Amino acid sequence: MEELGRIHQLIVPMFGYKVVFNLETIVMTWIVITILTLFGTLAARKRNMIPHAIQVIGELFIAQFGGLVKDALDDDEMAKKYTPLICSLFLFLMLSNWLGIIPRLEEPTKDLNTPLGLGVLGFFIAHYAGIKAKGIKDYLLGYCEPFFFMMPLNVVGELAKVVSISFRLFGNIMGGSIIIMVVSYLTYSVLLPPFLNLFFGMFVGTIQAFVFTMLTIVYISVQVK
Amino acid sequence: MASDIQTWVRVAAFVGGGIAMGVGAIGAAVGEGYSAACANSAISRNPKSAGEIFKAMLVGQAIAESAAIFALVIAMLLLFSKFPTDSYVMVAVLLSAGICMGLGAIGSGIGSGFPTGAACIGISRQPGIGKRLTTNMLIGSAVCQTPSIFSMVVSFILLFTDFSQQPLLPTFAALVGAGLSAGLGSIGPSLGGGLVAQAGCEGIARQPTRSTALTNIMLLGQAVSQTTAVYGLLISFILLFKGVPDSPAIAPAAALLAAGICMGFAAIGPGIGEGYVGQKAVDAMARNEDVTAVITRTMLVGQAVTESTGIYGMVIALVLIFVV
Repeated sequence: MEELGRIHQLIVPMFGYKVVFNLETIVMTWIVITILTLFGTLAARKRNMIPHAIQVIGELFIAQFGGLVKDALDDDEMAKKYTPLICSLFLFLMLSNWLGIIPRLEEPTKDLNTPLGLGVLGFFIAHYAGIKAKGIKDYLLGYCEPFFFMMPLNVVGELAKVVSISFRLFGNIMGGSIIIMVVSYLTYSVLLPPFLNLFFGMFVGTIQAFVFTMLTIVYISVQVK
Repeated sequence: MASDIQTWVRVAAFVGGGIAMGVGAIGAAVGEGYSAACANSAISRNPKSAGEIFKAMLVGQAIAESAAIFALVIAMLLLFSKFPTDSYVMVAVLLSAGICMGLGAIGSGIGSGFPTGAACIGISRQPGIGKRLTTNMLIGSAVCQTPSIFSMVVSFILLFTDFSQQPLLPTFAALVGAGLSAGLGSIGPSLGGGLVAQAGCEGIARQPTRSTALTNIMLLGQAVSQTTAVYGLLISFILLFKGVPDSPAIAPAAALLAAGICMGFAAIGPGIGEGYVGQKAVDAMARNEDVTAVITRTMLVGQAVTESTGIYGMVIALVLIFVV
């Protein structure tokens, strides 16, 4: 139980500041990136009209998310632009959430920095898309709705979106891993933990990855319209 | 009568454990009762699929129960663990952990009951899509558990972080405030999420051909309904880890406690209200598929406006913590 909440950190003094690296998160993120790159390369290699097995999986993801993005944005041009981002966001999050099932590996999403980073990324992309689609004047006027003096609350509301999207993912994954750890400890890892891994790792992990991805699309589409 | 630290820590552990399990048992039982009631009326409508309805009911009840099981785990830990007894701060830790988990389990239990009930009725209407309905029900009720998972995270952080070196007076209030913020904040959002999931199951039973789109929009509605629970979690994290300066004055401590109470109560209403928005949006989409885009936009805008009171609560809580 002592390992609860302990993080292996590498602290590097740099220009008078302490730069902190969470080693586990970085290593686990690289594992996810490697697997995804491998998957992408295999799926895109030797493409054919009659697809091979991995190509089918890749096409399945792209078709599904392409449809979702198109439904949300209602614009073919923009949908084509944002589908790769949304698709890889989902694959990255899903694989990250699944990683904890393997003993000794941990979910990178268990560290708040990962979801927060992706949330901030989504925030900037959404606002960039909004400025590009509406022009800077209409974009800024959007904050003054319905009245001018509502502006501070609209700004807080936009910032709160980043908080809510990232803490939701973090809380779920962190909670799942705590439950698995505590129950494994209480039952001496007999019988229950595999089922919990299945539920919290694969099921809840997939749902939360999907929710995060959907919300990112929706934030973009709200800004664009 | 001995009233040393050790006694008080034990007292707090017992009271905390009692509150965790006692209050935590409310929601799950209500939700399970609702699902069983719906299962009964579903079977009377369509006795042929009684077996499938029964199975869906049991699975749904098991998910609704999980909030109460979280509370049970916390209560057992409180009753049987050995806690360090070197500071009065521990009293606040144990009480707050119990209150947080107990309150946090109410909403998720009730909320998970709604989709289960709707799925049972749905199977009696459309026996052919039982599997699809059960999957949707599982997804919906699993998302309903999110707020209770949040309160469990806060309880565990309270129990397993060492607060004993911190000054008693402001820390005491900050810890109780953290528990109240996460615990109270979970009630509304999970109820609201349950309402959306209920509409999702009903909608799929009405329009089986559009089940994927309905599940997607249901997830979106649930996720947005639970935003205020996330604010509650955020405020309680800030209260836990801010590190308050030692001061004998009572006002700063009261401000921290008030921040927790403010965020906790402010999160209840928006959660339920946004749940209503999502419920009707999903219902409307199942009836009229041509206007999906407009309904989604109206739902999101409506939920954003509903949420504004929750944002007021968060702003005031942050002001109480950082400014006052």
